[in-house]
Amino acid sequence: MLLSDKKVLLIGGKGGVGKTTVSSALAVLAARQGKKVLLVSTDPAHSLADVFDKKIGDKKTVMRENLTALEIDPDHEVKAHIERVSSQMKRFTNPDLFPEIERQMRLTQQSPGAQEAALLERICNVIDEAEKDYDLLIFDTAPTGHTLRLLTLPEAMAAWTQGMLRSQKRSEDFDSVLEHLSPKAGKDINNPMADPQDNASDGMTDRTKAITEQLLTRQRLFQRTRRLLQDSSYTSILFVLTPERLPIQETDRALQSLTAEKLPVGGVVINRILPEQADGSFLAKRRLQEKTYIEDIHKRFKAWRNYSLYLLEEDVQGLDALEAFANNLEQAGFST
Amino acid sequence: MNIQSVRRWFSRASDLANEFYNAPYRSAIARAKRDEDDLFMLLVFSEMMGVPNPAAYYTLELQPLMLERFHEWHQRMGMEHSPLDHFRCC
Repeated sequence: MLLSDKKVLLIGGKGGVGKTTVSSALAVLAARQGKKVLLVSTDPAHSLADVFDKKIGDKKTVMRENLTALEIDPDHEVKAHIERVSSQMKRFTNPDLFPEIERQMRLTQQSPGAQEAALLERICNVIDEAEKDYDLLIFDTAPTGHTLRLLTLPEAMAAWTQGMLRSQKRSEDFDSVLEHLSPKAGKDINNPMADPQDNASDGMTDRTKAITEQLLTRQRLFQRTRRLLQDSSYTSILFVLTPERLPIQETDRALQSLTAEKLPVGGVVINRILPEQADGSFLAKRRLQEKTYIEDIHKRFKAWRNYSLYLLEEDVQGLDALEAFANNLEQAGFST
Repeated sequence: MNIQSVRRWFSRASDLANEFYNAPYRSAIARAKRDEDDLFMLLVFSEMMGVPNPAAYYTLELQPLMLERFHEWHQRMGMEHSPLDHFRCC
């Protein structure tokens, strides 16, 4: 049901628990069932290319029938964003200020949070654009950090812009930018009959028009994406973990934050469980220990479906191995 | 009836109707403005404490405006050049 009902799946989990392998196999399973899938990774270490054993990069690459993959590079996203902003703004700025603006843009590139911010914006754009071309989007991305921030971004952008532009010279220009970003945008209190569809940037200078339109477009993108991500019929978040102490604690914390923010969690995936055929007295002892962890998982995460995946004899690498692993996912209950 | 007094009556009635219609919204908007001001203060304070503020990154287009306003400000204050080393506008 997860694969057939939802349009966006976010796969979270601590590093090393098998997030990339699980998301890739899920993508293969959905593709096999006839869904057009886009699998997106934001891991700068190219883990997706490793799992498929094929280069991917920042362009949509077909991996098999119905399955396209994309690797987003946060560093590249920051640079691209800054270049876009710089070139647009230079059109309206005094050339004497160019070197200083460029210098400040370069500094922004290195500021903490710039990469995460760029990544989030790109993810929002991918979700926005992919809707018409794909049936299912799978993000091999830990949802907590960026997603939670997304929830307050539209208001934060409005508040920030308002704070930045007010208090000093009260000019018409600035007032118009403010007016359009803030929550009452478009609703003129003195004229309740005013058409909210009126062009937002009528009556501004070219420059403030360009700035306002840019900021508005971005703010609306965040608003749309926020709505989609909080819609449980559209989105689902799966958390992958191994039956070990720290992954369980991390997952518990993550799920609590997500639930508190009303983000739809769809299940937890317990990965690398020792199978029965892993024999010997050594592993028998480990299996006992593992059993207590698994019981803990079932108890803590009983609000969601728990899927169980078993440790395999060999690493999953390459499309053939992924197709085989997809069978395991099917058996674990993923297509029902 | 005198057309002027009819007009005056209509105008007054329209004003009253507007007030009646808009009153509940005014307080909502004032509250929204206050919340927005508070959010701005929170963002600034968090930034001072080292919490990255993504809103600043997403409003980078304001940068040239800020630079110009800063330049105008220091000139108004009587400083020939920018007093800040890392914000060199002239």
